Amino acid sequence: MRPRKLSGLLKKGDRVAVSNITGREASKVTVASQQYAGNIVGGWALGKGGQTIEVPGKDPVPVFATCEELYATLPKHGAPNKIIIYSPPEAVYGEVKEAIQYGGDRLHTIFIITENVSVEVTAKIRQISDEASVDVIGCNTLGVVNVHDHVRVGAVGGEAPEESFKPGCATIISNSGNMVNTIAGYMQAAGIGTHFGISTGKDVLILTPLVEFLKLAARSDETRLIVLYVEPGGLYEQEAIRWMRDTGFEKPVIVYVAGSLLEGRRVALGHAGAVVEGPQTSASGKMAAFDEYFGTGHFDPDKRIRKSNGARDRPRRGIRVTALHHLPAAAMAVCDALGWDRDFPIRHELRLNPWFLNYRDLADELPHALLLRPGHIPEPYRSQFARQMKVSVGLSPVRRDLRNTSRASSLDEAGQRIYGYSLTELMSKHSFGEAIILYWTGELPRYGFEAKLVEMGLIASLTNGPGTISAQAAKLSASAGNAPNTGMIATLAAIGTVHGGNGRQGVRYLLKIFTRLNLKNPYDPGPDIDVAKLAHETAVAFKKVKDAAKDSGVDYERIPCLGHPVFNDKPVNYDPRERAIWEAVQQTGRTNVFLDFYHQLARALHDVGVASRVWAVNVDAALACVWLGVCWTALMEKRISLKRAEDCAFLGFALGRAAGGAGEFLDHQDYGSPMDMRVPASDCQSLTRPRDLPKGGS
Amino acid sequence: MPFQMTELAFLEQLAHRFSLPVPEYLTASATRMKIRDALQRWRGKGVVKADVMSGGRGKAKVVTVVEDVQQAMAQLRRLANAEVGGMHARTSYITQFIPADLQVYSAVTYDSRFCGPSLTVSMKGGVDIESVEERHKQTIPVDVFKGLDAYQASQLFEGLACPKPLISILSRTLVSFWDMFISTGMRMCEVNPWRVGPDNAPYACDFKAVFDEANYKLKEADLEFPEYPESATEFEEDMAAWDASSYRGQAHVSELGGDLVLPILFGGGAGTIIAETLEAAGGRPIFLSDFGGNPPYERMVGTAERCFRYHLAGASALLILGGKANNTLIDVTFQAIGDALARHFEERGRVEIPVVIGRGGPRMVPGFLAMRETLESLRLPYVIFGHDTPVTLVAEYAARLAKFVKTRKEARRAT
Repeated sequence: MRPRKLSGLLKKGDRVAVSNITGREASKVTVASQQYAGNIVGGWALGKGGQTIEVPGKDPVPVFATCEELYATLPKHGAPNKIIIYSPPEAVYGEVKEAIQYGGDRLHTIFIITENVSVEVTAKIRQISDEASVDVIGCNTLGVVNVHDHVRVGAVGGEAPEESFKPGCATIISNSGNMVNTIAGYMQAAGIGTHFGISTGKDVLILTPLVEFLKLAARSDETRLIVLYVEPGGLYEQEAIRWMRDTGFEKPVIVYVAGSLLEGRRVALGHAGAVVEGPQTSASGKMAAFDEYFGTGHFDPDKRIRKSNGARDRPRRGIRVTALHHLPAAAMAVCDALGWDRDFPIRHELRLNPWFLNYRDLADELPHALLLRPGHIPEPYRSQFARQMKVSVGLSPVRRDLRNTSRASSLDEAGQRIYGYSLTELMSKHSFGEAIILYWTGELPRYGFEAKLVEMGLIASLTNGPGTISAQAAKLSASAGNAPNTGMIATLAAIGTVHGGNGRQGVRYLLKIFTRLNLKNPYDPGPDIDVAKLAHETAVAFKKVKDAAKDSGVDYERIPCLGHPVFNDKPVNYDPRERAIWEAVQQTGRTNVFLDFYHQLARALHDVGVASRVWAVNVDAALACVWLGVCWTALMEKRISLKRAEDCAFLGFALGRAAGGAGEFLDHQDYGSPMDMRVPASDCQSLTRPRDLPKGGS
Repeated sequence: MPFQMTELAFLEQLAHRFSLPVPEYLTASATRMKIRDALQRWRGKGVVKADVMSGGRGKAKVVTVVEDVQQAMAQLRRLANAEVGGMHARTSYITQFIPADLQVYSAVTYDSRFCGPSLTVSMKGGVDIESVEERHKQTIPVDVFKGLDAYQASQLFEGLACPKPLISILSRTLVSFWDMFISTGMRMCEVNPWRVGPDNAPYACDFKAVFDEANYKLKEADLEFPEYPESATEFEEDMAAWDASSYRGQAHVSELGGDLVLPILFGGGAGTIIAETLEAAGGRPIFLSDFGGNPPYERMVGTAERCFRYHLAGASALLILGGKANNTLIDVTFQAIGDALARHFEERGRVEIPVVIGRGGPRMVPGFLAMRETLESLRLPYVIFGHDTPVTLVAEYAARLAKFVKTRKEARRAT
């Protein structure tokens, strides 16, 4: 069924299916489109049937194995009438053929997003789609957006279509997909919104030519103004101009023709060059054709302000602009000439608005006209920048696909490597602690003692006695007759934020305090950092919070890593494992400012009356302090992320405890009785009384 | 550049494969004796031509008729190094001279008016087809599935008042011509002219074709495309190889001969507009680029490294500019460009150059911050615009800034 209006291309209620939906780009765009429009009913991908595409806040999109299965499975009223093709070039013809075959009368439009489809295949697609009366847009289209109905297909508008597209009277038709959003954004500066944004595609053959879109626009009352972005190649514009002239097309057209300065140069870019159809296909040929149709020269923004030659002289057929940023002014001139109101008040003027700048020494020499001042960053970006900049500690890593790829390890002809270092050399020249630091932080330790402290932490984490839940988990696994690896897994499964995860909390807590200070080296903090004073101030602040919370009867945030269930009955308490690490630190002739702080904080908390005894600084604190010391410089110099530093402290415990769990497992396996960890039913209590199920089922 | 072919490669690889009638030929490496024998066979007349990737009027200068072996040898030597419109010849060759009473033009191409293939024929061949009056040439659509049949071609010749004895043979020849077009994944091919002699036999006497890289038939055709010496600069060649090494993200460049602004541009549409604006504003862009298509990190690093290696030292402003991206991840591309710039400084030394940036799109906020951090650490002057500033305004600004920097540099050098 061929459309009569632009809404026939895409409207609210249309049901869209996506080919190759599990592909990288297709799945990403599916999620964004589903959030914007919610019009995708399913997709297909060979060998991926039965999967779903998860969309936050929406129902997942079902994936079928084939187009045939999709049409056979979806209810008739829910079958797609629009299809987007994201398949690789060599599969496009087959996909279109199948879509036409199985879609039958239900299918109205196909959008082909795929690039690099051969011209021959494109011509064949045209022929079979014509025979089936199915419209095809593309190939190499970015998609279409119907702003009034808040629906789109493809990626027009990117992740945030609302930003570029406000409802209004202009329909933008562009050879370049990116220019659809860009122009829509510019037009807002003229108070003009968008009805339809159409990326026609930019291949040698454009399957739905400009004239067809204009015919639809002519019958669409919501569109009052046409904005065109045109590139060299083809006779599409000449054909459209002939039609506009012959039919007396009444809607004004504003056009930008790109590519004139490249004429005569042997350039070959992504946008295909002209088919050999004569000089009319060139940019200058197209410009001349539009100027002749408009009956005037190109738009001159300076003339606009002259009253004697004012806006009302502008031609009603439209005008051509020579710079993209003249589009809003030209649109306003045309609107003025026709006595039209704007779609909305003008929000901003198009101007140079630098978000960030630093001219350095150049500032002293730049002439006034080139010296810009920092501009205004609009919302929501201003807040986003502010939030991002607040997170000033640690690296914000740039994400990318890491399948088959690793920064951490490699294997080449010379052997295995960790962050580029030969594993065999590490084996012969470095300790386990040094290798672990390298693998976890990406850098070898700067000081020899760091690896020693890390290894002490591993040993300290091995055990806290057989009663800890992580040791119990290993024993349970052995008691059940499991293999030894499950003993380690069970140990790891039994550590979490409450048991074992305190090291991570400790790092977080220390960072909150120490990132405010100008701490360069945690092993040699210098005279500017008064640890005793810092501990006292922290204790006083904590007491205030605690007292206020108690008065109000609400909970408050505890200080992590202080206190121990066993070592707690003396006036001054110590965890012997932490003590051993602290002594090792002192033997290096240096300090660890974080652990020093913890000691002084424990004392200060007692001094200000928070605690009746001096709490033990526990082993979790020691691990947090050791790992934060190892990570500190890389963290401050943004070579590692905050999360990595936090996780290192936790993993330091987990690695040691997993080995400890293995020890418990082996012991229990040799000497324990099968099932000895079972608790007899007689020792178990039920807190629920027996109940009968309802008769006859639910 | 797209895959193209001219007459010599056509004679060597395609004509016989599709039984297309062509004159005899010899390449420049032929011995004097072979040429002398051939000229005798050809009734003493040959045509020496330069093998150059150029068409149109200028090409007449590199085609010359010879009547003896001395002339032939001299012209073969001369034309092997000829130049037409900045294009250098690859080699030269000599073909049999075909005496003709009639010259016919033919071309098959994909035509936007029919959204499919079309055949154009004129009985006024041998001249630029654009100069032939409309009434003397005809274009018809060809069914892309069924192809061209001899009846269709004969109708066309009848309409052009072709002498009746020629219609059959010319029609059959055009069917073979079509077969070659559709079997080898061409986008356009032209024979101009077919020279028809007294024996009523047509010979293809000049040829050009453009192939469609996206068509699998081109790969299967197993053709060799000769390299022409001047067709690309070293930078373009390096980038073309880099572009072809991966399908993820584009790495297209075309040198424009400028010397002021080094433009790292994103998006074919935006890239063209920006280059035009730079040129119009006196920014003399060094090349035209399109690095869009959401390049992964390694791809963008490699692309930026090459741009910097060839052109950073001579530029007066680095412009990183694109519209509001739909898919390209700004943080990935900006981190990659920043890292490539830092690496370039480490390996090849620092360059004092202002950086002008304009962009929008997914993950722009971390992208801008990553780039700002890099530029701060490299101590380079910079201005970063968001997508609310039109790309053309940014380009104009970069052009003016580059001009100022260049003038200042020259003034310092003079003192």
